[in-house]
Amino acid sequence: MPAGLHLFLAALPLLTLLGQPVDAYFGLTSKESLSHYTSPSTATGSNHNRPHLKQCDLLPLTRRQKRLCRKEPGLAEALKEAVRLGIVECQYQLRSERWNCSLQGRGSLLKRGFKETAFLYAVSSAALTHSLAKACSGGKMERCTCDDSPGLESQRAWQWGVCGDNLRHSTRFLQNFLGQRKGGRDMRAKVDLHNTNAGIKAVKSGLKTTCKCHGVSGSCAVRTCWKQLSPFHETGALLKAKYDNAVKVLGATNEAVGGHESLGHSFAGRSPRSTDLVYLEDSPSFCRASRFSPGTTGRVCFRETTCDSLCCGRGYNTQSRMVTFSCHCQVHWCCHVECQKCVQQQDTYTCKQ
Amino acid sequence: MSSDLSTLSLRKREEKDMADRHSWILDSRECHKLHCAAPKPTTSADFLAVKCVDIRKGNHGAPKWLIPWGRDRCASIRGFEEAASQEIYANDIVFSVHIPFQGQEMSPWFQFMLIILQLDIAFKLNNYIEDNAIVTLDVAMAYRDELSDPWTELARSVEQRKLQCAFHAPKTADNQGRSYECDVLPLIELGSVAHKYYLVNIRLPVHNVKKINMGIGEINDLHLVTIFQNGGFTKVWFAMKTFLTPSILIIMIWYWRRITMMTRSPVLLEKIIFALGISMTFINLPVEWFSIGFNWTWMLLFGDIRQGLFYVMLLSFWIIFCGEHMMDQSERNRISVYWKQVVPIAFGSCCLFIFDMCERGVQLKNPFYSIWTTDVGAELAMAFIIVAGICACLYFLFLCFMVYQVFRNISGKQSSLPAMSKARRLHYEGLIFRFKFLMIITLACAALTTVFFITTQVSEGNWKWGEYNIELNSAFFTGIYGMWNLYVFALMFLYAPSHKNYGDDQTNGGAAVSSAEELQLTTTITHADGPTELYRLAGKEAQE
Repeated sequence: MPAGLHLFLAALPLLTLLGQPVDAYFGLTSKESLSHYTSPSTATGSNHNRPHLKQCDLLPLTRRQKRLCRKEPGLAEALKEAVRLGIVECQYQLRSERWNCSLQGRGSLLKRGFKETAFLYAVSSAALTHSLAKACSGGKMERCTCDDSPGLESQRAWQWGVCGDNLRHSTRFLQNFLGQRKGGRDMRAKVDLHNTNAGIKAVKSGLKTTCKCHGVSGSCAVRTCWKQLSPFHETGALLKAKYDNAVKVLGATNEAVGGHESLGHSFAGRSPRSTDLVYLEDSPSFCRASRFSPGTTGRVCFRETTCDSLCCGRGYNTQSRMVTFSCHCQVHWCCHVECQKCVQQQDTYTCKQ
Repeated sequence: MSSDLSTLSLRKREEKDMADRHSWILDSRECHKLHCAAPKPTTSADFLAVKCVDIRKGNHGAPKWLIPWGRDRCASIRGFEEAASQEIYANDIVFSVHIPFQGQEMSPWFQFMLIILQLDIAFKLNNYIEDNAIVTLDVAMAYRDELSDPWTELARSVEQRKLQCAFHAPKTADNQGRSYECDVLPLIELGSVAHKYYLVNIRLPVHNVKKINMGIGEINDLHLVTIFQNGGFTKVWFAMKTFLTPSILIIMIWYWRRITMMTRSPVLLEKIIFALGISMTFINLPVEWFSIGFNWTWMLLFGDIRQGLFYVMLLSFWIIFCGEHMMDQSERNRISVYWKQVVPIAFGSCCLFIFDMCERGVQLKNPFYSIWTTDVGAELAMAFIIVAGICACLYFLFLCFMVYQVFRNISGKQSSLPAMSKARRLHYEGLIFRFKFLMIITLACAALTTVFFITTQVSEGNWKWGEYNIELNSAFFTGIYGMWNLYVFALMFLYAPSHKNYGDDQTNGGAAVSSAEELQLTTTITHADGPTELYRLAGKEAQE
């Protein structure tokens, strides 16, 4: 986790609860404060008899989600990891945008239909899909791939060989968990649902198929292929590209038409594909502090590239100081770095008020 | 043909098959419960290694097994940033994988288990993968059969694998933290899955002076992908073999009885067909049933050898069949006549046998071994395969040439057929018919095999057909296997010598046949049932 995030979170006041969550969303799109997710985990080594029950109670979940959480001991941990992953990736991808995925003002954003809202929904569901699949392959969950075959013990299905892959399981579970099987009530709900699905699709499209031959003498007469999750950074980069090319759809509520079809109209002329991010209204500038964001005052920028857009034409302060940093490092693959200390003059640019 | 259908038909057969009655009933119940879900031939399961921390300092004493989850799970870290702050060193970190997942068990029905290593390596400006980087793995594997049992060591070794990674973005500060795309590394091959639970512990020891595990980038995660045969597929496969063995065996006995009933000794073609039958039976013999009860790790190697023998027999059969239908006046009937064609077969299969012994044979001793991991080994293996490939090319050239010769002779004979005596003409017509018939079914079988093979390589192998989810790969494997069995069956059935008609005619009414013809007819004769009819008619007419 970047050090800046810690500082930021420390300064972040607890968000006020915006009433009981109506939607069954979770993670970055949950209406509750997220600050406790980013604190270091304390779960390992707990002496509690069934520690996951307590963790499920601590998470901001609806009643149905809590029930699902209690049934699966590894889920609470995976959900927490998903939120952490989502926040880190969101802030990394938008580090040089005016809205840098600051958690402050997230509640107000979620009530509207901006591009940023779309990104929050997509990144959140992508992170959930990714970390659920990862928790499955890490052996942290008890009900994973073999859960799909109803009316059959998991052990039987496993031995017979009809268990699916982790990703299919996590997608299906997620759709159940987020409670979004049927279309939403209004346009906003539909847009949110669309963006959530776009997040899941982004993870799926990043899958890489790898094969291994193991026929007679290792020939390719018999071949087994499997799908491999790409690192979440890649998914984040894909979603960032989708965010930059998000499609605006007409805001008129169209209750007569159900499902995704009602998203068929857009200003850009092309109808949004299921992998596109869609939004309803143009974003505010995010330049000044508002209920959506803390503004760009005091943001660090790069003079050549980002300062103009980031500071909204207000100009920037230049600060020059001597910085000590590690250099000529010799790094081993894990955990061990031998560095020298170098000193360099460094200019920092921050946006003016 | 699909394995759905084969499981269904197996259910029908269960009444007949008394010997394995119990297991069939079990099968059919399972089939019902699974809605006859056809399993893929093999499954892969992806296991993400848990980064355990070996808290004992010094790493001395008896090997300790670190378990990723469950009651006695190890102390673990989530990422390596944590390790740096806790003063944990690379040598204390153990990647731990428990196979299979919680609540599941491995089973002997899985037949074999291949474990493949996948590394997730991130690019850092100050820590990148150097050229020709080699990763050194200290791998240990253990098993147990009860969750309360202690772990028993299965194998332990220090292995080196070459890292072949590509980074598709420019290596700039901006792209730090992005991942390399690395080729998978074969890690373990087990020829039997006799235990319920397996545990793999991997260390990546770092040694500054010896340059061990230096310049291998920032390893973030380690995955083990496990491949094994599906239990369901194994059952279908065993069932098929158990059914096919007696059918081929019976036709073989019938065929040999026909030959011994002849007054002459068997000709070469008859012998080679019989040998083909034996090698098919050898493959069919369901000795795999024993792998359920015994821990026979050599099953993979044995299977390779059996298949190899069958291929040798099939290839030799084609050559000899062409030769015996050459219809020139030269005497063949000896294997030594065919040395030009048989030598490439023998040499090529020897090469592949040596290669297989070097790979799967050595794996019996050290399951981590792979001939491809060392440069010399890889070159040697490549040399064997190339030589075998050249032999295969040579063989097919010879075969094509012989087929061409036969067709040339056929067209030559066909033009002179009307001028021949009746018996002689019918004899040649029979030969031509037999040859063309075999050509057609052989080409059809080969074409089907090729098409199926290409389809399995290209497609994902899953077709929805109404309510049934047909697993193409399983269907193809069973289909092809059945087809070649049928081929051998048909060969023995159709090409068995007739014991009543022609031989008698020859001795009784042989006056019509000149001595030269007699010589040739006896050297090349094996009558098919189809042509037998022809001969019978011919014999009657000739007598008249």
